[in-house]
Amino acid sequence: MIQNWIGLYTFVRREVIRFLRVSVQTLVSPWISAVLFIFIFGKIVGSRIDTIAGIQYIEFVLPGILMMNVLTSAFSHSSSSLYFQRFARHIEEVLVAPLSHAEMIFGYIIGALIRGMLIGAGILVIGVLFGAASMHNIGLFLVYILAVSTVFALLGMLVGLWAEGFEQLAVLTTFVITPLSFLGGMFNSLDMLPPILQKITLWNPFFYFNDGLRYSMTGFHEASLVTGISIIAGLVIVLFAVVVTLFSRGWRLRV
Amino acid sequence: MSDTVPALSIEHVSKSYGSSTALDDINMTVEQGAFFGFLGPNGAGKSTTIHLITGIARLTKGRIRVFGTDVNTSYREARTKVGLSPQEFNVDIFEKVDNILDFVAGYYGLHKALRKERVDELLERFNLEKHRRKEFRMLSGGLKRRVLLARAMVHKPKLLILDEPTAGVDVELRRELWKYLRELNEDGTTILLTSHYLEEVELLCDRIAMINQGKIVVVDDKEAFTQNGGKLEDKYLELTAQNTSTS
Repeated sequence: MIQNWIGLYTFVRREVIRFLRVSVQTLVSPWISAVLFIFIFGKIVGSRIDTIAGIQYIEFVLPGILMMNVLTSAFSHSSSSLYFQRFARHIEEVLVAPLSHAEMIFGYIIGALIRGMLIGAGILVIGVLFGAASMHNIGLFLVYILAVSTVFALLGMLVGLWAEGFEQLAVLTTFVITPLSFLGGMFNSLDMLPPILQKITLWNPFFYFNDGLRYSMTGFHEASLVTGISIIAGLVIVLFAVVVTLFSRGWRLRV
Repeated sequence: MSDTVPALSIEHVSKSYGSSTALDDINMTVEQGAFFGFLGPNGAGKSTTIHLITGIARLTKGRIRVFGTDVNTSYREARTKVGLSPQEFNVDIFEKVDNILDFVAGYYGLHKALRKERVDELLERFNLEKHRRKEFRMLSGGLKRRVLLARAMVHKPKLLILDEPTAGVDVELRRELWKYLRELNEDGTTILLTSHYLEEVELLCDRIAMINQGKIVVVDDKEAFTQNGGKLEDKYLELTAQNTSTS
């Protein structure tokens, strides 16, 4: 499956150099956005909100803000990288090289994970500076960050393959990722919602991403962690299978 | 491997895009050490053939082998033997020249020390040393062409495919490239060249194939096209026009 380790390492190195080349857009921008969210919603609005299950509001929202930025970054990374390589045709550099499809796919995923981890680490530091970051279970924290980043790296690859124009790249972020993140318990607990919305939220996978990460940081959760982990694992398996199939068929990669 | 194994063997290859046929049952052999010209009008199937050899396109039918290695079933081994300098600038235009070469060398599995040695050697060979930290988009057309050639050679391929390598290149560089390509060929690298400059093909190649409307029209030694004081251009126009009118 993976034989050309130097090739894979080079692929990842190129991905990292690519996003560091535009670090204001890829790193600084989400960090500034996180500072604003934490300051406005956590500090200013949060000071007027009661604790939730004994947790300060700023601590409650931090995992949601962190998760939204991490998954958005992972998605943006793989979608824009793959799409731009197709658009400018330098994907051909990789297609003519002795790299397997698995090596290419892991190259995109690892690149997206590194970007997601950097974003997450930065926001965690910002959280510490605001006195909002706590850590209940660091192992679980890493599992959630890496697994959810993998889901969105794979989704990003699908969009990167599918998109025929720059506008299509933004479709999923605008119509799915942002709304479902905000509606997935990023700023509120489940019991703050009316009963009908509580039921709907339980069908929103983003709720489980936020809830799981919140548990790993604060020890508080509202849904079954087993259900959450199962949803994430299921998404990784299904999306990985789809991406592998499309790469093997050369869909929109090889003419 | 025996010396009699061809550098490139294309057997009954067809390629279709939906209902349109780009290549129709073509056969072609390039012997080891040859400087092989591959000619045809725009849209005849030259680039499609090259894409199939290098893995950019998928075969519809047939078999392609490079030094006896099947390009589909043993793609890793086959691709290490082929270098491609394409017609278009398929490069990350924001990337620096030495990074472009270093990345491609890495894809081919070259270790760091070897990559550095090879990149430095090629930058010197193509007079690109003072441009090594420039982004590709900042280079002139001729310099960009040199980067593509250097990139194609970074892993020392045994078969070098050059798709219009001198398009947009000034006379001085063109002559310099010819000299370099001759040296490479003399050192044992097999070269497959496509070019619209027929005098270039006539000067460099020892064997020539012509393709038109997805079919190989003729494959012969250069002398066969230029015997009795004839010109390659006349033969080319005759063969491609003939084929068009009979189809």
